[in-house]
Amino acid sequence: MSTQAAVSEPTTKPSDDRATTFQAVQGAPEHYSGEVLLVTAYALLWLIVFVFVVLAWRRQNRINARLDALEREIDKADAKGRK
Amino acid sequence: MLRFGAMARARTPWLDAVFYSLVLLTAVVFTFEIFFIFLQTPVERRMGIVQKIFYFHAPSGYAMYIGATACFVGSVAYLVRPTETSDAIGRTGAEAAIVFGGILLTTGPLWGAKAWGAFWTWDPRLTTALLSFLIYVAYVVLRAFAGDGPGERRFAAALGVLGAANLPIIHFSVQKWGGQHPMVVTGSGGGLQHPAMKTALGFGFLAFTLLAVVLIWLVSRVEIGHSRLRVAEEDAIDLGLDTRTEV
Repeated sequence: MSTQAAVSEPTTKPSDDRATTFQAVQGAPEHYSGEVLLVTAYALLWLIVFVFVVLAWRRQNRINARLDALEREIDKADAKGRK
Repeated sequence: MLRFGAMARARTPWLDAVFYSLVLLTAVVFTFEIFFIFLQTPVERRMGIVQKIFYFHAPSGYAMYIGATACFVGSVAYLVRPTETSDAIGRTGAEAAIVFGGILLTTGPLWGAKAWGAFWTWDPRLTTALLSFLIYVAYVVLRAFAGDGPGERRFAAALGVLGAANLPIIHFSVQKWGGQHPMVVTGSGGGLQHPAMKTALGFGFLAFTLLAVVLIWLVSRVEIGHSRLRVAEEDAIDLGLDTRTEV
C-alpha cells in the first residue's frame, strides 16, 4: 500500500516544467522574422478593434435612422388620432 | 398608451460627455503605452523584439475575462429575471469577449511562431482559450441568426454561464497540466526582470481595462437603441403602422 502511494505521488507538479521566462527556440533555423511578427500582431490588434467599432457605429446609425423614421410616423398617427 | 414617445429622446448629455472623455483617456493611455513599449522598454535578450507582443497579449486575455464576466452577470440576471437590460449586458459582454479573445488568439500564435517555432499547439491553455472564444461566438451567432425570442435569449444566457464556467479552467490550466504556455506573469521565474517591462505590462493592463469599458459601453448604447426600436415598433403596430424590420 505504502509502495503504491510512493509510486503514484509525483515529485514535481506538471506546471513545474513550464517556462517562467521568455525563451526563443534554440538551435532551430529562423523561420519567421521577429519584426514581421511584431508588426503583424500590432496591425491585427488595431484591425480587430477598428472593424468592431465600425460595425457597432454602422448598426447604431441604422437604428437611429429607423428610430427617427418611426418617431415621425408615430407622431403623425398620434396627432391624427387626437383630431 | 405609447411608451416610445416618453423614451425616444431620453438622452443624457453628461453621460455622453463621460463616454467621450473615457474614449479620449483610453486613446491617451494607448499612445503612451506604445511609446513606452518601443522607446523605454528594453528588447528581451533571448526572444528579441517579438517579445513586445506580450505587453498587449496578456492584457487582452485579461480583457476577455472582463467581457466574459459582464456576459456572465447579464446572463445570470436574465435567467433569474428576464429584462431588456440584463439581456443587453449579456450580449454586450459576449461581443467584448469575442473582440479581446480574437486579439488574444491572433497575437498569441504570432508570439508562438518565434518562441515555439509553430503558430499553434494543442496546449491546455490555448485549447481552453479557443473553446471559450468559440462559446462566445456561438452566443453571438445564436442571437444574430436564431431570432430574438425569449427561448433564444434563455438559451444564449445559458451559453453565457457556460462560457464563464470555462474561465477558471483557462486560468488554472497552466498550473495543473503540462504544456508549453509560459507562466511569466504568475510564475516565479522572473520573466519581467527589468522595471520598465513591469511598467509596460502594468500600463497594458490599464489600457485594455479602459478599452474593455469603452467597447462594452459603446455596444450597450447600441443595444439600448435596439431596445428602444423594439418598443417603437410595437407602438407602430398598435397604431396600425406595421413597418417592423430587423436591424
